[in-house]
This record gives sequence, C-alpha cells and structure tokens, in this order.
Amino acid sequence: MTFDAIGIAGTGLTVHRKWLDAVSDNIANVNTATSTAGEAFRARYISVQADQNGQGVHVAGAAWGDAGGRMVHEPNNPLADADGYVRYPDIDLGEQMGSLIMAQRGYQANAAVVDRAKTTYEAALQIGRN
Amino acid sequence: MALDISSITGAGSLGGVGSAGSGTVAALWENARAAIQAPQASAAAPADGGASFAAALTSAVDEVQGLQGTSKTLALQAVTGDLNDIHEATIASSRAAVSLELIATVRNKGIDAFNEIMRMQA
Repeated sequence: MTFDAIGIAGTGLTVHRKWLDAVSDNIANVNTATSTAGEAFRARYISVQADQNGQGVHVAGAAWGDAGGRMVHEPNNPLADADGYVRYPDIDLGEQMGSLIMAQRGYQANAAVVDRAKTTYEAALQIGRN
Repeated sequence: MALDISSITGAGSLGGVGSAGSGTVAALWENARAAIQAPQASAAAPADGGASFAAALTSAVDEVQGLQGTSKTLALQAVTGDLNDIHEATIASSRAAVSLELIATVRNKGIDAFNEIMRMQA
C-alpha cells in the first residue's frame, strides 16, 4: 500500500465500525420477544483476525449467541405460548454497553493514527525545505 | 545532467485518469531515484537519464491522478448515500493529498536544481 500506516489504521477502522454495527444491532434487539416456537434473536459477535505480513486486521466472521434465549413468563404477550412464555434474546445490556465503549474508543484510536501518520508524512516532506 | 524541463512541466496530461494501477507511488519514487542516479553510473547517456526522470515523474503524476479519482468516486458515493465506510472516503482523500504533496515536492526539487544550474556563471 502507498502509505502503510494510513492503510493499516484504515483496516482497524473498518473492523471497529463492523463491531459497532454488531453491538448496535444487539442493543436494538435487546427487547425483541419471539414466540417459543421459533428462535430468539441471536446476539452477533464478530471474530477478528490479524492480516498476514503486518498488513492490519480484518473481520474473519461472525459468532452467534444462543438461539434459545431466555424464557420469560408474559401471558399477556400476543406471542406467548400455551403456558404463557415468550423468548427474549440472551443479551446482557451491560456487557454490550462495555463493548460499545471499547468499539468507539478503538475506532477513535485508529482515526488518531491516520491523523498522526498524515502529519508525519507531511513532516517528512518538509525535510530540507528551509 | 540535461533536465528536460518542458517535458516535466507538461508531465500532467490531465486526461490520464485510471492509470491501470501500475505500481505504487513508493515504487515510482524508487524509479525516479534510480533515474537520477543512472547518469552517475554511466556518464555516457545523461540525456537518457533526464528523460527517464521525466517519465518517472509523469507516471507518478498519473498515479496521483488515479488516487484523486478514487477519492472523488468515494466523495460522490458519500453524497449519494452509497458509501459504507465514512473513513474510506476520508482516508482516500488524505492519501491523495499526501501523494500530491510528495510529487509536488519532487517536482519543486527538480525545478530548484534546474534554476540553480541556470544561475551558474560561465
């Protein structure tokens, strides 16, 4: 790549953006009830892998949470089965908020690297100018 | 070293977008460096060294043109809502800016060298 540090930080930005997407999807569905006949919303976790030859990082794939979720007794819910149960996703909101902060800070750190790398390259172009 | 300044200043040929992805600016910079050093190795063909420096500069300008094309495409995607990653557009723009600055610096160095030679007293 032309300017390595910028490109590498770019891969980090992409990974954290995808993590942010996964976390926001999980938080958006934290209260999504489903009938006991079907699967609960499955939390999405991304698995990340380092690139070959120090070229950054990439998302290798997604891991999925428990489809069973947790059974909640809500007889008034229109989705409830004969015994009055519905499925809620097994997502810990506190854990997701923690991941949210980590994804955000990771993204910001990589953005800072892009900025610093650009400043550094520009400094290199100033060598011998005066 | 006979520096063909007319071909350097005319190196832009601003139609050449695309540039067929022929190597990075870093590689072209290597070429340019090799081209500058070539006349020292074989003093027999100084004009050829100057010409290949100009050619290296031309292809570097084309490369920058390609980067700016990418940046422009991504900026267009950003305003039409087709962009997946905001940072892709801003990084492409940063990369194009730094590359342009690099090629401008190399060109200015060439011009400076030429002017220095022109100022020489007989």
